Amino acid sequence: MINKQDKINNTHTRLLDNEPVGMTVQVVRVMGDGAFRQRLLEMGFVRGAQVTVLKNAPLKDPVEYMILGSHISLRHSEAAQVEVTDKDAEFCDMEDAYNGIVETTVAGVDPMEDNVLRIALIGNPNCGKTSLFNCVTGAKEKVGNYGGVTVDSKEGWFNIDGRKVQLVDLPGTYSLTEYSPEEMYVRTYIRDNHPDAILNIVDAGNLERNLYLTTQIMDMNIPMVVALNMWDEMEKSGDHLDIEMMSRLLGARMVPLTAYNGHGVKEVLKAAMEAIDESEQETRHHNVNYGALIEDCLKELGEMCPTLDRYTVLKIIENDQHALELIKGQDNADLVRKTAAEMRQRIERDYNDDIVSIVTDLKYGFVRGALAEALTANPDRAIGETKPGYSMDRLLTNRWLALPILLVLMWLMFEATFTLGAYPQEWIESGIGWIGEWIGKAMPDGILKDLIVDGIIGGVGGVLVFLPQILILFFFISLLEDSGYMARAAFIVDRIMHRVGLHGKSFIPYLIGFGCGVPAIMATRTLENRRDRIVTILTIPFMSCSARLPAYLLLVAAFFTAKQGLILMSIYLIGILVAAITAIVLSKTILKHDKTQFVMELPPYRKPTARNATIHMWSKGKQYLQKMATIILAASIIVWALGYFPRHEGQTPQEQIENSYMGMMGKAIEPVVAPLGFNWQMGVSVLTGAAAKEIVVSTMGVLYTGESDATEESTSLKEKLQTATKANGEHVFDPIVAYSFMLFILLYFPCIAALAAIRREAGTKWMVFEIFYTTGVAWLVSFIFYQVARLL
Amino acid sequence: MTTSTIIQTIVVLGIVAVALVYVLRRVIKTTRGNDCDCGCGKNCRSKKH
Repeated sequence: MINKQDKINNTHTRLLDNEPVGMTVQVVRVMGDGAFRQRLLEMGFVRGAQVTVLKNAPLKDPVEYMILGSHISLRHSEAAQVEVTDKDAEFCDMEDAYNGIVETTVAGVDPMEDNVLRIALIGNPNCGKTSLFNCVTGAKEKVGNYGGVTVDSKEGWFNIDGRKVQLVDLPGTYSLTEYSPEEMYVRTYIRDNHPDAILNIVDAGNLERNLYLTTQIMDMNIPMVVALNMWDEMEKSGDHLDIEMMSRLLGARMVPLTAYNGHGVKEVLKAAMEAIDESEQETRHHNVNYGALIEDCLKELGEMCPTLDRYTVLKIIENDQHALELIKGQDNADLVRKTAAEMRQRIERDYNDDIVSIVTDLKYGFVRGALAEALTANPDRAIGETKPGYSMDRLLTNRWLALPILLVLMWLMFEATFTLGAYPQEWIESGIGWIGEWIGKAMPDGILKDLIVDGIIGGVGGVLVFLPQILILFFFISLLEDSGYMARAAFIVDRIMHRVGLHGKSFIPYLIGFGCGVPAIMATRTLENRRDRIVTILTIPFMSCSARLPAYLLLVAAFFTAKQGLILMSIYLIGILVAAITAIVLSKTILKHDKTQFVMELPPYRKPTARNATIHMWSKGKQYLQKMATIILAASIIVWALGYFPRHEGQTPQEQIENSYMGMMGKAIEPVVAPLGFNWQMGVSVLTGAAAKEIVVSTMGVLYTGESDATEESTSLKEKLQTATKANGEHVFDPIVAYSFMLFILLYFPCIAALAAIRREAGTKWMVFEIFYTTGVAWLVSFIFYQVARLL
Repeated sequence: MTTSTIIQTIVVLGIVAVALVYVLRRVIKTTRGNDCDCGCGKNCRSKKH
């Protein structure tokens, strides 16, 4: 009789990276060890799984594969770790891995111990947890059609049947193995907080991969409800799932859900409450049956560690270090460790494989077996067929067209921001001008009028006028994110990222960085390697955040009459270029390290919804207005006061402001900024911008309003900058000075909130480094640009 | 100096003082950490990590 290993050894195998596009093959084994191998196994690269090579990225690397209905991006070097064979080769019996279920009895618990019911949302990345969270709690947490948007827990509350329930949104995870920070976070949360129920969100269109995590949760013996999200897509696909049978097999309620439009939410919550109520009595839990040998081991070891759940006992057998930590205090810890090691050896000898592969194979075997009974696939759909909407992918990721399309889309976005935003901007501008004039006429002359007109209206109004552009830009970004294109952009530029020493996973924090640096710096928590994290954190501030946008919009509109969208895009591209150069230098010098392997899931293309884009746009607009009413208002008042005092009798407004505290401060730093083409007003504007970048514009609004003659007709800040002159009569600004100023604003040190986030995530040393490095780079780039442009 | 000027000056200095305290508190809160510990300066409900 030929055993399994002989069958594998007799199979003609090759490496996945050599397979041509369009080929479907079968996985034999994943070589190597450690976290990356574990991640591949968890994502479905288990023995017998079929993989289809979909395409090479435009720069030949990485490659897109389809496995278990998911699209996965792997670099050639990483695909070379996967051994494959012909798709029809018979080298393993998949049925061997399906042993059905075993039942365990769990004693009843009192879920109302602290009078609070806690439900945790757990699921794979990008399966719709945050969409459900927002729908249930009314929160407006960010959602996106890519994994890694949620990096820590978010808590919200809702009431059901007169009971108050806390809903906790946890980061997306493929497993609870604790190999990566997000897995660790979810596992620790469950261990420390003991939720009363787990709401396991699964993508109904990709059950095989998603239910792997479910098998791990099953072993934890916590009441669970499985929400089959994106049920509408499942129905459209023509597949049929026997929900009742599947629920029976898993021993957990399964409820169809379409989180983005709220269908099924009530039923999901009702099922969760029923599961909690039932858990108060003794219940029978279903667990994956791992076969006689492993089940005997689990029973024996479980008796030695009565306080641990089945999941942790299995992890001890797998030699999981975090699980072993939990038995440290036990009297029989050494005996448990020794017994587990013997069991591991016995299992590995019997299965002729390593323990991690064996357990993963068995879990996937269970999922496959259960789905074989409950899921009827649409007979018209062939293996390897891609999801609907995928046809346009050929164009968007085409070898020659992908990069030009990416650039054209960016340009269109910026151009639309200018052209569409110009009209509402004019209305707001005239509204603010009218209010300023009305107050000017209605109030008697005096210090209070000066504060309101020059300080508050001049400062806050100067920034407020850019609200329409901010809303338009974020509307477009939201459309691109929701469609799934942003993740493709990561696929397109992955090779470039790899070349400059950046981790592929860094793309998501960078993307978030275009909105705000603080959540972007926090999003680096998904990077396993500390050096990767530091490089990413230090380069995120070069991704131009939305707070800098008002300054660009003001200067581009004032000094560039043509190709405004292109000029704005060039600023963003220079930021990306400086980040790339910084990453190369850092990863080749002080932060030198081996390249971390990375597997990225490419989300399906989805039709973006106007509702989601509007919510995203509105939440961004609300944040902007909140900032106006708080920090920008307060900063404008302080800047005005520093520019107003001390008072000197008989001086013109210009002389008065030059001799003010602000003027003295500006004159002191003028020698440093003069080689960049800046005057003292620009110098102090960048200084005050340290609190928040919008304050750069509000400071200029205050300083230039204060300078203008009281009799002068009210003009916008843009016009004031266009007409501002030096003592010798020359214009202060021209396109070269404006561009040099924009470069400085783009690159100089991040705001205080971002610096605090850097300190927290990377340490004080790196925060200090960042302040000097970014400011040094900003000064140098602006200096070179200004001096060279003046010579030309 | 008229009474109106004195009152206006007091009101303006009061507003400036409030603004100054607000900005300083925000800066201290942000650098020291906040309820949410994410550095955003407002309670965004993020838990300590």
